Amino acid sequence: MDTKEHKAHRPRQSGAKKDKKIQKQQKIKEKNPKAFAPVSGRKAEKLARRKQELIQKKLHVPLVDRTPVEPPPIIVSVVGPPQTGKSTLIKSLVKRYTKHNLTEIKGPITVVSGKKRRITFIECTNDMNSMIDIAKITDLVLLLIDASFGFEMETFEFLNILQVHGFPKVMGVLTHLDKFKNNKTLKSTKKRLKHRFWTEIYQGAKLFYLSGIINGRYPNQEIQNLSRFISVMKFRPLIWRNTHPYLVADRVEDLTDPEEVRQNPVCDRTVTLYGYLRGTNMKPNMKVHIPGAGDQYLADISILPDPCPLPYKARKSLSEKQKLIYAPMSDVGGIMYDKDAVYINIPGSFTKTDDNGGPGEKMVISLQDASDTLASKLQEASLSIFANSVPLKASDLNEELYDVSSESTDNNKLQRNRRRAMFNDENDENYMNNELNESDRRAALTKYEVRNSEGNVNKEITFVESDGDISSESDEGSEDSGSDLDGALRWKSNLTNKAENMFMANRRVNIMQLIYGERTPDEVAYNSLLNSAQDTMNKDDEGPLKSEEDFFRLANNDAGDIKILKAIDSSKSCFNIESLDGWDDERMLESIRNRFITGSLEDENPNELNNSSDNEDDEVCSDFEDLETDEVIKAMQSEEAKKELEQEILTQKRILLKKKFDAEYDNNDDETKVEFYDELKEGISKQLQLNREEFDDDDPHTRVMVEGFRPGTYVRILLKGMPCEFVKYFDPVYPVIVGGLLTTEENLGFIQVRIKRHRWHKKILKNKDPLIFSLGWRRFQSIPIYSLNDNTRNRMLKYTPEHMHCIATIYGPIHPPNTGLCAVQSVSRDNIAGFRISATGTVLDINHSFEIVKKLKLVGTPYKIFKNTAFIKDMFTSALEVAKFEGAAIRTVSGIRGQKSEGHFRATFEDKILMSDIVFLRAWYPVMPKKFYNPVTSLLLSTKTKWQGMRLTGEIRKDLNIKTPINPESRYRKIERASRRFNPLHISKSLQAGLPFASKPKLFKKKRSKPTYMQKRAVVLEPREKKVYTLMQQIQTLKKEKDKKRKVKQSERREVHAKKSAKQEALLAEKERRERKEYFRKEGLAQKRVNNSSDEHKSKKAKI
Amino acid sequence: MASKILKFSGHNYFRQRLILAILSGKPVKIDKVRSNDSDPGLKDFEASFLRLLDKVTNGSIIEINYSGTSVLFKPGVITGGTISHDCGTARAIGYFLEPMIALAPFSKDPFNLIFFGITNDNVDTSVDIIRTAVMLQLKRFGIEEGLELKISKRGSPPLGGGEVNFKCPVVKSLKPMQFTDEGRIKRIRGIACCTRVSPQNANRMIDAARSDYEIYYRQIMTHLTCGTRGFDIVKPMSPTWKSNHICNRSPGFALSLVAESTTSALITAEQAANPGETPEDLGKRTAKLLLSEIRKGGCIGSSNQWLMLLLMVLSPEDVSKIRLGQLTAFTIQYLRDIRDFFDVTFKIKQDPESNTLLLTSVGVGYINYNKKTT
Repeated sequence: MDTKEHKAHRPRQSGAKKDKKIQKQQKIKEKNPKAFAPVSGRKAEKLARRKQELIQKKLHVPLVDRTPVEPPPIIVSVVGPPQTGKSTLIKSLVKRYTKHNLTEIKGPITVVSGKKRRITFIECTNDMNSMIDIAKITDLVLLLIDASFGFEMETFEFLNILQVHGFPKVMGVLTHLDKFKNNKTLKSTKKRLKHRFWTEIYQGAKLFYLSGIINGRYPNQEIQNLSRFISVMKFRPLIWRNTHPYLVADRVEDLTDPEEVRQNPVCDRTVTLYGYLRGTNMKPNMKVHIPGAGDQYLADISILPDPCPLPYKARKSLSEKQKLIYAPMSDVGGIMYDKDAVYINIPGSFTKTDDNGGPGEKMVISLQDASDTLASKLQEASLSIFANSVPLKASDLNEELYDVSSESTDNNKLQRNRRRAMFNDENDENYMNNELNESDRRAALTKYEVRNSEGNVNKEITFVESDGDISSESDEGSEDSGSDLDGALRWKSNLTNKAENMFMANRRVNIMQLIYGERTPDEVAYNSLLNSAQDTMNKDDEGPLKSEEDFFRLANNDAGDIKILKAIDSSKSCFNIESLDGWDDERMLESIRNRFITGSLEDENPNELNNSSDNEDDEVCSDFEDLETDEVIKAMQSEEAKKELEQEILTQKRILLKKKFDAEYDNNDDETKVEFYDELKEGISKQLQLNREEFDDDDPHTRVMVEGFRPGTYVRILLKGMPCEFVKYFDPVYPVIVGGLLTTEENLGFIQVRIKRHRWHKKILKNKDPLIFSLGWRRFQSIPIYSLNDNTRNRMLKYTPEHMHCIATIYGPIHPPNTGLCAVQSVSRDNIAGFRISATGTVLDINHSFEIVKKLKLVGTPYKIFKNTAFIKDMFTSALEVAKFEGAAIRTVSGIRGQKSEGHFRATFEDKILMSDIVFLRAWYPVMPKKFYNPVTSLLLSTKTKWQGMRLTGEIRKDLNIKTPINPESRYRKIERASRRFNPLHISKSLQAGLPFASKPKLFKKKRSKPTYMQKRAVVLEPREKKVYTLMQQIQTLKKEKDKKRKVKQSERREVHAKKSAKQEALLAEKERRERKEYFRKEGLAQKRVNNSSDEHKSKKAKI
Repeated sequence: MASKILKFSGHNYFRQRLILAILSGKPVKIDKVRSNDSDPGLKDFEASFLRLLDKVTNGSIIEINYSGTSVLFKPGVITGGTISHDCGTARAIGYFLEPMIALAPFSKDPFNLIFFGITNDNVDTSVDIIRTAVMLQLKRFGIEEGLELKISKRGSPPLGGGEVNFKCPVVKSLKPMQFTDEGRIKRIRGIACCTRVSPQNANRMIDAARSDYEIYYRQIMTHLTCGTRGFDIVKPMSPTWKSNHICNRSPGFALSLVAESTTSALITAEQAANPGETPEDLGKRTAKLLLSEIRKGGCIGSSNQWLMLLLMVLSPEDVSKIRLGQLTAFTIQYLRDIRDFFDVTFKIKQDPESNTLLLTSVGVGYINYNKKTT
C-alpha cells in the first residue's frame, strides 16, 4: 500500500510531438471558452453528478493486501487440454529465466525472475482433481489454447472452477499457430478466438500468440514478451487466500522408520512437506487439510533457509549466479530427489555398461547396485544366538542408543557428503542442522517423541539436556509450548547468538513465561507481579530456579486467600479491605494525583505516564500537551536547558500548527472527492504498517509464538499418521497442497448453498443424488437436498430448476458464508464426454439443523354427509393417525374449507359438501438431510484419476441392470370425465313460503305444449275500442299508400337524371378524344420536323 | 475429522471455557467439578448457565455425568434471538450476562435477552458497570448501533427480582484495536441505587464517595453525578412478568463508579451493601476501591480486562494492542485458555516507566460464520 514515487513524465522538448502539442494548445485557445460551458445550472449539476458517478464506478472495495515485504514466489500454473504445448511453454520460460534445459516437469519449479519476484511454475493435468486444486492456489493462469483446434471443454471447465474460487489472473496463450497455412484464416481464427475468450473473462483480456516451435521451444522473442507480461502482473488479493494460510509442497519426504515399515508395510507414515508459506500466518498447532489426503494436525513446523532466495543486492539485471532454479521433484541440475534419497547424475563421465570386464570391475558395479548403505545393511543383519531364538538385529540395539549417543556416526558422515551436494550453499552448518540426513532425522524424531511422551514423567532428563547449554529459561518455555523440535535440534548451531537473543528477550520472556507458565493464575496474580519495578528486577536475577523454589512456599502462604477465590468464578477481582485503609493518608492520595487531569507531571512517580512523548499519534489533545510542557519548563533547573526546551516546544508547536493549517486548507478538495474511500484505505495501510513494525525487534521464538509463521518463509512441515498410500503412490505430477483451517472450519455441519445447474451440463440434477463439491480447500462428496424458499417455507424439489438458482442443503465441513463452490458428479476419467461441472454456487448459511419440507396430500372421500359435517374415509389408516391430525385444516376441491374434529373421520365444513367431492388434507412433511460426508482421497490412489465415490442412483441401476421403477399410479394417462348430470333443485314448499324474495321457483314454470286458456280465448272489443282500432288501421293504410306512391315517383325521377348525365358524359368523352387527337397530331408533326432537320444535316454532312 | 476434545478440570473458570468452546467450535470436557466437595458436581447456577447456552445455540450437545462432576460440551452455532432466562438467586445477572456479551456479536440473529435475578451484588459484575463501562468497550471493535442494556427492575440479594434487557447487533467481523494511551482521568461518574430502603441512602453514598475525590476535583473537570436512585418508586416493567415476580424483593443498596480518562479509558469500581453497613461506609469503600484501581493503571479496569483480550483475539489478522495494569488471576487464566482454544499467545511487554503491561496479539481472523447472507 505504500505510495511509490513514480518517475516524473518528461515532455518532449523538440520534434514532431512538440509541434503537435503546440498546435493543439493554440487550437484550444482559439475556441470560445464560453461556448462549451454549461448554460443551465441543471445541466451543470447533471454533468457533475455524472462525473462523480464515473469516479465512484472506478472504486473497488479496498481489500487488505497481506502479502509480506518479501513475498513468496507467485504461482504460475500452465493449464490446457492435452497436446497444447504446456510442457514446452514451461521449458521455454524456465530456459528464458535460468538458462536451464528441463528434461522433465514434475512438481513445482521455482525460479528467480527478477529483483523482487520469484515464480513457481506448475503444470496442470486435465484430471478434475488437479484442476480444482490448482485453481485454488494459482496466482496467474497461463491458459493454453490450441488455435488449430479451437476451444476445448477443459478450458471452459477450468475457467468455471476459477470463477467460483476467486478468479485469479488469467492470460490466454494461443499455440499451434504455425499450422495455419493461409494467412487470412489465421487472422480470422485469431479474432474469433480472441472475442470468445473476452466474453469469458473480460473485454480486452490479454491473449498471447505463440507461433511454431524452434528447437523444442517457442521462439525466444515471443517468450521474452510473455515473461515481461508476467513480470509486471499485479495481483488483487483473493478473499479465501487472504484469510487462510497455505503451502504448495515442492518436496515430500517419508520419515517413517524403515524398520517399522518393514514390519507393517501399511503402517501410518510420518511425512515432511516442504514449501513456501502463503496466505496468512500459519500457527504452529494448526489443523490443515491436504486436498486428496485428508485432515491432519501439524506435528511440527520449522523454518528452513530459502532454497531460492531473492538477490540481496541486484543491479539492473540479475547476474547468472542469482538466476536460481529450485525444483526438487524434477530432474534439475543433475540432482534427482527421490523419496528420501538424492541422486546425482553425471552424464558422460560415468555410465554403466553391461559388457564389463574383470572381476574387480564387476564387484564395483555390484556394489553400486546395492540398495542400502553398508551401515544399514549391517543394521539389518541379524544374528541368532541360539538355534530357536529370535534373530537379534543391530538396529534394535542401535535404537536404544539414539537418545544417548550423539548424532555423528560413520554412516552419517557418508550421507552428509551426498546431502551437501544438493544445495551448494555456503553455510553448511545450517544445512547440517536443518537438512538432516535420513538417520539424523530419524534420530531427531525419536528424540522428539521420547521427549514428548516422557515430558511429564521425567522432566529432569529434558532439563539436563536443555540446561547443558545456557538456555535455561527460554528453552523451558519453548518446551512447554511444544514446538521445539527444531529448536532442540539447532541448539548447538550458534550459541553466542542465542545467548544474546535470550539476554535481550529475558525480561519479556520472564513475564510471558510467568503468565503462560505452570503456576496457577492466583499465585501469579498475587505474587505482586508488578507492584514494584525492583521486585521484577530481583526475579530476573534469580532466574527460574529461585521461582521454582518459591512455588510451594507462596502457595502455602496464600493458601487461605486462594481457596476462597477458587470457589468463585467471577471477573471481579478480590481485594483486601485493609489495603484500602491506606487511602486515608493524604500522601497516598497525592501519589496518584497526576493520573487526574488536574494533576501535574512535576513529581517523579513510578506511576507517572509519559504517553504523550512515546505515543505516535498525538491528536488526542494538543492543548493538554501545552499545559504539560509548561509545567515541565518550571521543573527545569538550569537556564540553558530551559532555553533549549523552549525552542523545542516552539518548533513542536509550529509543526502542530502547520499540520492543523494543512489539514484545513491544503488537501481540502482532494478529501472531498473520495473521503470515505481514502480514509478506509489509509486505515488499512496504517494497520499494515503497524503489523509489520510490531514484531521487528522480537526474537524469532516470540514471533512464532505470537503471530505464527509468516508467509514467504520456506518451511518444513512434519505430519504424523499419514496414510501409507500417500507415500506409496506419491506422484509429483499431482500437486500436494497444505491448506490451513481456521478453528471453526474443523467441524462438520449442515451448509445451505445457493446453487445453479451449469447451463452446459447436459442433465438437470436429481435430488439426493450424490455430488462432489469443491468448497474451500476441500473436495468432498455429499448428498444435496434441493429446495426453493417461498417466503414461508423451504420446499423440497425433485430436480434442480432448469434456469434458476435453488437452495441445496449439504452436510460437510463448515465454511464461511459467501464462499464459492462448484460441484461435479464424478472426478474420475470415465465420463469425459460432456461438460463436467454440474453446478456452481455460494454458501449462504450454516446451521446444525435446517427445516426442509415436502408437500404431503392426504386424500379421502365422504361416505356420509350431514348438514355441515361429513364422515370421511380413506384418508387415514388408523385411529391413532386421526388423533394426530385432529384439528388440522382440510379442503374439498370445490373450495369448502373444513376442520377435522372428533376422532372418527368426522369433519366439519363451512357448507354441506357433496358425495362427489374429494376431501384432502395438505400437510408439510419435514425432510431430514442425510449426514453423508465423503472426502475425495484421490492422492491416496495408485491411479489418481480413478476415484470412485458413492454412485448416482442411475449409475447403480445401470450397473445392477435394474430398470427404473415406475409406479403405475404416477403414470400420465388420459382422464375420461363423464359429463355430470345435475338433479333438479328441489325446494320444499315450506321453504318457498318462507323465502323473502319476489321471484320464487314456482314462478319459473315450464312452457306448456298446448296454448293456455289465456292464449286461446276469443277477445271481443268494446265499441269505442273498436272505433279507435279501425281509425288506427285506416291511418296506417293511408300512410302505406302514400309511401308507395312516393317511392314510384322517386324512381322515375332517378331514371330521368341518369339519362341526362349519360348524355353529358358522352359529350365530355368526345371532347377529350378530340383534344387528344390534336395533341398527338402536333407531337407527330414536331417529331417529323426534328427528323427531317437531322436528315438534312446528315445529307449536308454527306455532301460535304 | 472431528476436532480434538480439550480437557480441563475443576469448576473454576467454567463460563469462559464454554464460551471459548462455542466461539472456537472445539468440544470441551470439564471434569473433577467439585469432585472432592461434600456437595459434588455442578451447582444450580452452573446448570442454569448451561441451560442458557443451550438456549442461545443450536445443535449444542451437553453431556453431564451421573454425579454431575464432569461435563462434555460440544458447541453448536450461536443463534441468538429473543430469549428470557431466570438467573436464580445464587449468582447475579452479571454472571450470565458477561459471557453473553462476547457471544452476541457473532450470532445468527441479534441477541435480545431478558434476564431476571439479582442486579447488584458483591460477587459478580453489576449490570450498571456492564452498561456504563463494559459495553462501551465494544465500540472500539466496531460494534455500535443497536447495542443496549436496559435495566427495567432492580434486585438485591438474597431474593433478587430484577429485570434486565440486553440487545446486541450482529457483525461480520470485528475491527482491530490499539489502545495504549490511558490518558488522565477527567471525570468520575457513578450510579447509586437502592431497593426497599429510603432513597436518601443513595444521596448519602454519593456524598461520602464524593468527599474522597475532593482533592482531585478541587479545580476543574472532575465531578460525580448521581444517576439513578430510589428504584422502589420507579414504575414497574413488563406486564407479563408482573404476575409472578415482584420487584424489589429484598432491601439493599449499591454504588458503582466509573472513572473516564481523556482517551475515554474507563476504570470501574463497585460495591454493594453488606448487612448492617451504612451508606457512608459503602460510599467511602467504593471510592477507595476506585482509587486503587486507578493506581494500577492501564486502559481498562481489572474486571473487564478479559473481554478486551478476547475480542482482540477475535479481530482480523492484524496487530491489536492494549495497555493493562496489573493482571488479575481471572485474566491470566483467560489468557491461558485463549491460548488453548485459539492457539494465540499474547506478547506481553512491561513498560517500566508506568509500571503497566503492553499486551499485543495478532487476531485469528475470526468472522461470523453464523451470519446469513442473502
